[in-house]
Amino acid sequence: MNATITIWSKHMTKFFRNREELGGLLLQPILWVVLFGVGMGALVRNVGGSDYMSFMLPGVLALTALGGAVGGGMALLDERLRGIMKEYLAAPIPRLSILLGNAASTITKALFQAAIILLVGGLMGARITTNPLGWLALVVLLALFTLGFAGIALAFAARSQSIMGYHGLIFLFNLPLLFASNALYPLVNMPGWIKTIALANPTTYLIDALRALTFGGSATIALPISFAVTALFAALGTALALWSFQRTIR
Amino acid sequence: MATQMIVTRGLAKRYGEVAALDGIDLDIAAGSIYALLGPNGAGKTTTISILTTLALPSAGSAQVAGFDVTRQANEVRRRIGVTFQDLVLDPDLTGRQVLDIHGRLYRQPRELRQRRIAELVELVQLGDAIDRLVKGYSGGMKRRLELARGLMTDPQVLFLDEPTQGLDPQNRATIWDYIRMLRRERGLTLLLTTHYMEEAEALADTVGIIDRGHKVAEGAPAALAAELGADLIRISGRGDAAHLAERLRALPFVDRVTPLEHLIEVGVDNGSRRVAEVVAQASGNGFTIEDVAVARPSLGDVFLKYTGRALRD
Repeated sequence: MNATITIWSKHMTKFFRNREELGGLLLQPILWVVLFGVGMGALVRNVGGSDYMSFMLPGVLALTALGGAVGGGMALLDERLRGIMKEYLAAPIPRLSILLGNAASTITKALFQAAIILLVGGLMGARITTNPLGWLALVVLLALFTLGFAGIALAFAARSQSIMGYHGLIFLFNLPLLFASNALYPLVNMPGWIKTIALANPTTYLIDALRALTFGGSATIALPISFAVTALFAALGTALALWSFQRTIR
Repeated sequence: MATQMIVTRGLAKRYGEVAALDGIDLDIAAGSIYALLGPNGAGKTTTISILTTLALPSAGSAQVAGFDVTRQANEVRRRIGVTFQDLVLDPDLTGRQVLDIHGRLYRQPRELRQRRIAELVELVQLGDAIDRLVKGYSGGMKRRLELARGLMTDPQVLFLDEPTQGLDPQNRATIWDYIRMLRRERGLTLLLTTHYMEEAEALADTVGIIDRGHKVAEGAPAALAAELGADLIRISGRGDAAHLAERLRALPFVDRVTPLEHLIEVGVDNGSRRVAEVVAQASGNGFTIEDVAVARPSLGDVFLKYTGRALRD
């Protein structure tokens, strides 16, 4: 726990010092909301009883979490390739704490971005719940989801030999997860086969639950199932990262 | 009899088909400076990696400060400090943050960390630079910061992998001074690797020469060099070297003769006095001399003797 907090706070120190990363991280979700939301919103007035902005925001949150997870893996890869990892490995700390420290900073950044998305989305007319439980659900679900993807990204980052290789692999994963989900179009309108794929995609469960709990929509999947799938995904992602990481160290 | 701080038996490491380390025995006394000397790829860094618990040995055993590096890795980790061959510093942190984070990883309380940092900044003379970002540091400053980080947790053993690689002579001399002082004032045990023989000569109580995963010689630098005779005469040229070596061995003042490729090394009691006789033997036996040199034996010569190859910086 101590080492996790130390590594987390180190990453946050570096994050707030790095103006490029900070600026990119703040601007990216704003661009998504403004450009995509306005463009598609003009095209589509109403999706299953929801305005498009409210419909789309959970997808933007998921996308941002995905991007954050890729960045988190990148941070680990950078420390590995630079050799900074050796300082952790020679220290009397659990190996898992190295991964958890990294995942914790990734989640913190993702929640930070989520706050901006909600702010901008709210300003642009999205219906966001005033129920604190809805907000709590958002934080928990998004944190779990980010942890799951951070796990996958860290698993790749623990093995990649180069930055290029890592990005190649991770993008192979990233795009289908967004497009083969209910992020951009509702589940009920999907043809059968893509619906099957979408239902195998944890992104779908996150988004469905967020729409119901935070953005005033209705759930198409039972909420306990969505929570269970997201939590399971987080556990599997962490396990995968640890398994991959342990194979690269002694 | 001093206690042993580092003990290895038959330590080996294989990467697939390649044996990086092929059965190394070490006994390093507490409070001593031991240098592993060898060319790149000899197995020095592999040895350090195993002893600092970064890699598992394929065979054999190793104890550091009385703890087994495989089964009691965390006990070992608590008692050692390391500086790695490559500079492994976060460029976006200040020197103070680098040291502070290191102390936090080892659960040092805040007051202790502050006190240690103040002491270490004094020791390695980083001064005000400690609060600047590491990316602005010179190579020498980075090495000094790494040394400070290795000392942050007050270790019993400090491992230094190529501590002066890439440094100019002035910075190298500074690091040497620190290393000597650490042993003298704190009784620290130091294991360093180097491929600079003058570094091993200047610092080490004991030198282990390592080549292709084997320890080929070990001893005090002066004793190792003295084994080669008081002086060395090197003859290079064309002709029957084996025959000439035979004749030279018969001379009373010759300690030893090592015929190498295009080169014969002759250990003698007094180089400048005997060179004429050695040359006379050569011409009398149909050997055409191209070059003759007289030298005091160095660790480089010891390396040449045991491996048949020159150790290049």
